[in-house]
Amino acid sequence: MEKNLSSAAFHQVRPTVPEELGDIPSGYGTTESYLLPKDPAWLFLFWEITQETFDYVRGQYGQEVLNQSRSVIRLHDVTGVEYFDGTNSHAFYDMNVIFDAGSWYIHAPQAGHSYVADLGFITPQGQFILLTRSNQMTLPPGRVSDVVDDKWMCVEGDFIKLLQLSGADRIGIGASELMQVVDQRWKLTEIAGAGLAPSSATSSWSSFALHTVPAPVPQEDEDIWLQADCEIIVYGSASANAFVTINGKEIQLQNGKFSLRQALPAGAVLDLPIAASNKSGTKTRQVHIKASREQGK
Amino acid sequence: MGQEKGYLALVLHAHLPFIKHPEYPDFLEEDWFYEAMVETYLPLLNVFENLTAEGVDFRLTMSVTPPLCNMMSDPLLISRFQHYLNQRVELSEKEIERTKGTEFAAVAQMYYDKFRRFKHLFENVYHCHVLEGFKKFQDMGKLEIITCGATHGYLPLMVHKESVNAQVKIAANDYRLRFGKSPRGIWLGECAYNPGDDKFLRDEGIRFYFMESHGVLHGTPRPKYGIYAPVYCPQTGVAAFARDMESAQQVWSAESGYPGDARYREFYRDLGYDLDYDYIKPYLHSDGVRRNIGMKYCKITGKVPLNQKAAYNPQEAREIAAEHAGNFMFNRQKQIEYLSTLMDRKPLVVSMYDAELYGHWWYEGIEFLEFLFKKIHYDQTDIKLITPMEYLEMYPTNQTVQPSMSSWGDKGYHDVWLNSGNDWIYRHLIKAAERMTEYANRFPNADGLLKRTLNQMARELVLMQSSDWAFLVTTGTAKEYSTKRTKDHIKRFNELYEQVKHNRIDEGYVYNLETRDSIFQQIDYNVYSSAAKDKVLNQYK
Repeated sequence: MEKNLSSAAFHQVRPTVPEELGDIPSGYGTTESYLLPKDPAWLFLFWEITQETFDYVRGQYGQEVLNQSRSVIRLHDVTGVEYFDGTNSHAFYDMNVIFDAGSWYIHAPQAGHSYVADLGFITPQGQFILLTRSNQMTLPPGRVSDVVDDKWMCVEGDFIKLLQLSGADRIGIGASELMQVVDQRWKLTEIAGAGLAPSSATSSWSSFALHTVPAPVPQEDEDIWLQADCEIIVYGSASANAFVTINGKEIQLQNGKFSLRQALPAGAVLDLPIAASNKSGTKTRQVHIKASREQGK
Repeated sequence: MGQEKGYLALVLHAHLPFIKHPEYPDFLEEDWFYEAMVETYLPLLNVFENLTAEGVDFRLTMSVTPPLCNMMSDPLLISRFQHYLNQRVELSEKEIERTKGTEFAAVAQMYYDKFRRFKHLFENVYHCHVLEGFKKFQDMGKLEIITCGATHGYLPLMVHKESVNAQVKIAANDYRLRFGKSPRGIWLGECAYNPGDDKFLRDEGIRFYFMESHGVLHGTPRPKYGIYAPVYCPQTGVAAFARDMESAQQVWSAESGYPGDARYREFYRDLGYDLDYDYIKPYLHSDGVRRNIGMKYCKITGKVPLNQKAAYNPQEAREIAAEHAGNFMFNRQKQIEYLSTLMDRKPLVVSMYDAELYGHWWYEGIEFLEFLFKKIHYDQTDIKLITPMEYLEMYPTNQTVQPSMSSWGDKGYHDVWLNSGNDWIYRHLIKAAERMTEYANRFPNADGLLKRTLNQMARELVLMQSSDWAFLVTTGTAKEYSTKRTKDHIKRFNELYEQVKHNRIDEGYVYNLETRDSIFQQIDYNVYSSAAKDKVLNQYK
């Protein structure tokens, strides 16, 4: 480390080829997790849990207990909590997870709130065994604030006009159109031919992203297992005073937003008409979502 | 303050990711830079030159991002660009002969004149260093050049604030090197803002940044003027300017935007495909594959197949660009006039666009801008062009609002840069950031080869953090290249990390990377220390 070559020697050094370094690692050998924001309603959690961590927990609680426990993400609402010690959150939400997935998209119950995600086991007795705790993440509110500044008051009607002119009801629309144009800009270069390194993108990222269980290093004649299932989440927003139904059933809005999580078994077809109407029923809006899953092997 | 009813701030965001491949004689993705130079950056400078010569006063705010500044100053890329430009001059000269007496004679002449003019500007006026040109107009007070995160990094997805601090500090240092003063404004990559990041801006003396409209609209408390006046971030007083959607859509709306006019130039019909192979071959890449070369002789014409496009008429297209500029100005006059009836101060409309969309995508967009500047100067008194700093000097008192996390991407948040197609990136970006800080804390006074290695790790880290890679994976274009770039920088960083860890630094390897990933020659890895971050944040405790 201390050796410091002279500049003359420096130029004689033969450059080594950096591309011969194999693929990027799948993990870094530390138990940890990170929580990232996606939008006002969604968080992304990714993690790594080492064998040592599992061994340690097994040593503490015994294999038998772990076998009977659920693997979960426990999402804590820590809005305004100065120091979160694992017990002082306002509320927490548990969702089943497969640790081998390595990452998960989490639907946040409240926009604008702060969250910490714990990964761990829940024993049959209800005890939570922590494996790793994430960083804290605060989501954006996703709507116009109710807080009005005394010093900067203005006529309410003027504010609403300014709000409409500002494009409060068009968020993301213009940006999306712009995206298409930008997208085309790159496409043009692409049309002209693909980049170098034609076959270098070896692994299929899509399989990674679908949260399938990564296969362990294959050993001859070793049996393997795979489990996978599917749920879909329907979510959206509507005017705060709207009456919203999904498949004819009323659904409660929270801050103008709603979400519904539903299992999608193999071979199933989900038909989810979503409707909103005003109090008097004179104005209605409809969105129809259909999802189907093929019968897998 | 004059008799004007309000102000228009035009903002162009000029950016390309750092692409340089000295290991190949020519490289396809490097063309992005050469095309943007000849279609956007030099034509814009040409507009500034024309306006100045004519005595037309104008104001424009423009980011020239650090990767772009580095490419514009790189000797290898400069010499390759010169070759690219010379080839176009040569070909366009031959084309005058070939098209003589045909319907394409006028457009062939146009290319020849333009290429020769840009060559003159590039070589004789700016001495092969276009930043000289941008600096000239900044020093004249016409142009406000702003910086950007070091590599257009996506700040809200950086959980280690040392990385946010480093993106801002590396950029500000680079700006000082290029422009001889500190930046007063910044374009956050993808307009992605995370509450509190303004503390790192403030520490570099940055006074303002830009946001998508809902960043301000969803701020707390409610912004009194909507998006038609800036707001100050709490504690730091950094000003946030929000984007006006009406003027954005007028230009870029997929259905009714200006660039779709049938008389404008058709992008998809290119001489690279049209001309005899033997004739065009010297102007293609060394692999001889037909590609776009940037010379196009047809107009959009209408909804007809590519082979039925009519000849482009430069004069006709120019007249339409003037018409559209007039229409744009008229709409801003009406918009600002109406806004001024709702506000107790003069409203400000902020129109923000990707610079490369002018010229590169919308060929006549450059002329549109020139006409717009002239019309605003000569034809009316209702609105005035302004820079953010001029506005802040005029209205130093603004409402304090905590802007909301947001970006200008599809759906307004982070979906484009964080989705099932590219979320694998962040495990590595975050680990590399953590490791960089680990070493910066451990080796505060490194020298010699260790120092070079740590500095190169910092370069690999900022390069992997370019938001462009995640963007290109999502759009599905250039996906292979952007995936490879991300992985290459991750691998190189990790290899250097291991070499330092095991006390076996390979100088040849470090040298190789210094040559290839040569961005930020002056980088100092110490910007990644926790102490550097704490120094900023402790001011607010």
